[in-house]
Order: sequence, then structure tokens, then C-alpha cells
Amino acid sequence: MAGANRVTGTARVRAILKWLARAAKRNRKTFSFRGNNIFYTAIALMFMLDPALAGILIVIMGVIVLLPMSSDPLRAIPPSRNGLWPLEAGERRLLRFLSPFLNPMTWLVLGLAIWKRVSWGLVAFAGGTVLTGFFLSARSPGRGNFWRLLPRFPSPLNQMIRKNLREMLSTLDFVTGVLIAVAAAGWRAAGMLPKEAFFPFTFVAMLAISTCALSLFGLDGAPGLRRYSLLPVRGWQVLLAKDVAFIAIALLIALPLYIPGALAAALIALAVGHRASIQQMTPQHRWRFQTGPSFGDAITQIVTMTMAGAAVAYSSALFLTPCVAIWAISVWWFGREFDRR
Amino acid sequence: MISCRQLTRKFGDFTAVDGISLDVAPGTICAVLGPNGAGKSTTVGMLTGLLAPTSGEAIVCGVNVAHDPVAVKRKIGVLPEDLGLFDDLTVDEHLELTGDLYGLDAATTRSRIDRLLAALGLTKGRRTFARACSHGMRKKTAFAMALLPNPEALFLDEPFEAVDPVTAATMASILRDAASRGVTVFLTSHILPMAARIADRFVIIRSGRIALNAEAAALDRPLEELYFDLAEAPVLDRLEWLGQTE
Repeated sequence: MAGANRVTGTARVRAILKWLARAAKRNRKTFSFRGNNIFYTAIALMFMLDPALAGILIVIMGVIVLLPMSSDPLRAIPPSRNGLWPLEAGERRLLRFLSPFLNPMTWLVLGLAIWKRVSWGLVAFAGGTVLTGFFLSARSPGRGNFWRLLPRFPSPLNQMIRKNLREMLSTLDFVTGVLIAVAAAGWRAAGMLPKEAFFPFTFVAMLAISTCALSLFGLDGAPGLRRYSLLPVRGWQVLLAKDVAFIAIALLIALPLYIPGALAAALIALAVGHRASIQQMTPQHRWRFQTGPSFGDAITQIVTMTMAGAAVAYSSALFLTPCVAIWAISVWWFGREFDRR
Repeated sequence: MISCRQLTRKFGDFTAVDGISLDVAPGTICAVLGPNGAGKSTTVGMLTGLLAPTSGEAIVCGVNVAHDPVAVKRKIGVLPEDLGLFDDLTVDEHLELTGDLYGLDAATTRSRIDRLLAALGLTKGRRTFARACSHGMRKKTAFAMALLPNPEALFLDEPFEAVDPVTAATMASILRDAASRGVTVFLTSHILPMAARIADRFVIIRSGRIALNAEAAALDRPLEELYFDLAEAPVLDRLEWLGQTE
């Protein structure tokens, strides 16, 4: 250990910061928006005629993105490893003080604070959001108590559906969908949302969660996929458990809006998403936006969702029947493909 | 009960398992031993329907694994290498899932879950999500999942690794008891003393091939000695910097 003692305290802190910076950079890459750019573009187009509304949505999504991006960089060090490193108390304090500067969000807030053209209100808002994200991330990962009390489903697939629900509920896509629905519900309650705006809002909320349908197995991880292979279930049952969870979330979000349109859009999002979900099992991260495997899949999904939703909303609810049929065929077909994996 | 002929699995140019043939009779505990990368887990994967063999045939519980993998899965319990747990289910929920999918009624599932959790010392942590469990707890959960549906054959990949001595002894006792009632156990292990204690048959695999396939009673030397001879001998290299003042 004599060799280690020759390193000065500052050099040790510098070495740790260097590796933390690398870890923080990798963490930022998980905020990829590949499959979601279309979502933002769609919203921008949809609300082009109402900049105030678009502004509110952008603020909502800004907060959703800022919170996880503001996480404490020291979280990248496992607590047991941190405790084992031969650091003096002063070195630990220095590390604690310097590590937040590895996060670009800190620099963003500092930049806003010294930029004279920005109001103090905006600085306080951004700073508060970043600090909230920082302190929330410093809490222990917890045991997922939040979603422990999900309802039971009267089916042998009960626990699989509950697991899938918990996975989907831990995505930023879901949070976005809920915030849009809550905002719409508020406007509706205040009488500020005309009836003809119900479907567009429903559709935007469905768009927000649609990428989950393109990456249904992204949060299962390799052990989860192995368990599917060991269980005596067919591929269509595995897909059905995923789809029930997705549809339940879609209906929950659409509750204050337009349920038939949401159901049509969700069924078609799933029907299109099965192929991508099975053929390109893209790994996903919790508390991040889900990323679809390709831009083409996302475009196809959005176009078909729009057609289905609009047909139900503006023509007849009978258009739900072909949506259900297409979804059922997709479950059967891609269930076979899942079995052949 | 477990039978395979010329079972081979290639990954590109690499042959992980090279023409393995073996038979394991009902009620036997067969320990498959070998160094890391020898092909043990690949063999388990092919016998349980997780991996399709490149060539060869496997029959488990009277069913051809390639022809009807779901029928095989209904008859076996598996503890896979990576445990195959879902982060978003608790210990209890994993076992409930197993009971539901294997067609057990709720009362039977509940009673078996209680017994298994008590036996494996998991009762206190039953409501813990898998992602918050220690490795030992995860291992025990996956082991309990394998036992719950009363399988005809058990495939266990490294069951004794990372579990405490009491649990290891409990697991060994459960396996011996199950084998005495006709359940076939096919396990891989690096813990030679434990394997020597419970197995009736040993298969040593080296570079994807069987180097030894013998009944425990027929071994003429201690298992460890045989293993070092047939699988790999320890590398005795001196790390000269250890203990030196720098």
C-alpha cells in the first residue's frame, strides 16, 4: 500500500472526478430521443395555432426531462466502493463540492443566473427543478413501494400484467402522458376545453406513451427474457400480458378525455409495435423516455394511430372493430414469432 | 428421464458443446462440473429448451425438447444461470406467477409458497422487489420457483453459489429428498465438496466435451483430484509484488 500513499489527496479526487465525468457522460446518452422526436414535432405542429398552449406543454416536458438529468453524479459510485476508497474527510468534502459541476444542468442554471436578460423567476424555476432532481436522486433507490398496490387481474397472467404495468409506469413517457391528461382535465373542468379538442388532446397523450409499444421488452432485461423462455406460456400470452398493461395505462390516461379514440390508437400502436418489440429488443432505461428501434417504425406507428383514432373520433365508433381485429391478428402472428426466437 | 445424443451447439466458429451424449436415470442427482466456459450452462440451456442445439437430440421427461419445448417446460423446474427474475415483481409475486402459470390452485400455491419461503429463510423478505434483493435472496427465489410446481426434473445452474451455508445445506437436503422420491436433478457446480456430498453421478466437461461420466460409487480417487486432472489444474504463479514494500 506504500505506493498508494504517494498519491496526493487532490490527485485522488481528480482521478475520481475524471471517471465520474465519464460515467455522467454515459448517463446523459440514455436521454436519447430517437423515437420521441416525432412526438415533439407532432405536438409543435398540432399546436402551431396556439403558442400559449404549446408553451405550457413544453414547460411540462422540460420539467420532466430536467428532473432526471439533474441527478447527483456521485450516485454513479456504488456506496460500498465509495466507502472503501482511501480518502480523507477533506477529500470527501472536496469531492462532494466539485461533483455537481460535472452535471451540465448546474452550468445551465449558473449561466441563466448571470445572464441579465433572464428574469429571476425563470432562474428560480430552473434552479428549483435542478435541485429537486439532485436531491431526489440522492435518495436510496427504494423498493418500488409506490406501485406495490396495483390491482390484481383475474387471469393466470396476473403477475405478468402487474410486472408490465410497473415497468411502463417507470417511464417518462407515462409521466408525460399523465401530465398532458391532467392539464387537459383541468382545462375541461374549468370549461376552457371545447369538445372538439378532446380527441386531439387524447391523441397527444397517446403519442406520448406510444413508444412504449415499440419497445415492449426493453425493461425486462436479459434475465426477464430468459424467464419468459422458461415459463410454460406461448408467445401470444406473453404479448397479451404486455398489451393489457399498455391498454390499461392508455385508458387511465384517456379517462378525462375521449376513451374510444384512445383505445383505437392504443390497439393500433400495439399492433404496429409488436414487430419492432420482438425483432429488435432495444434495451431501455427506467425514468427515461423510451426509444423506438427506428424512425421508420415510429412514423408508421404515428400515421396508423392517427388514421385509426381519427376514424373512430370523427366517423364512427364502429371503426373500433377493425382495430381490435388487426390487433388480435398481430398478437397471434407475432406471438408465433416470439416462440420461434 | 434425461437423455441426449450428440448434442452440439456452435456460436459462429466456436463450438461450445461438442457432441455430448448422456443418460440420467430417474431419481438421480447428476452434477456437471467443469471450468468456466466449458459448456455446462450451454448444455443446461439445450436440455431446457432455452437454446436450440446446432445438432443432436435431447429427450427430457419423455418429450423431445426441440419438438415440444412448452410440454417440457411444464414438467421441469429450472434455476437458470442469471436467475431469470423480473425487477418489478416481489419474491412472493414471482412464486405466485409460477403457481398461476403451472395451473396450481390458489390454496396449493399459497401453502407451497409459505413452506418454501420458511425453508429457505425468505419469509421476512417475501415482499421485497427482486431488484432490491441481495444475490443470495435472488438465488433462493429462483430456486423456490423451480421447486414450486413439483417438477419431474430439476435443472439447476450453480445452485449453491452465493448462498449461506445453512441455506446450502437446506437446499442439498431438499434435493436429496426430492431425488429419493424420483425427481431427477441435473445441476452444475463449482463447489466440489457440495457436489461430492449430494451427487450420485458426475459428469466433467472440458472444452465442450465429456471428460468423465461416472457414478459416484465408481470413482477411484477424490473428486477434487479427478477434477484437477481431467478439467484443469490450478495455475500456481507467484505474484512477486505481494508483501513487498514499495
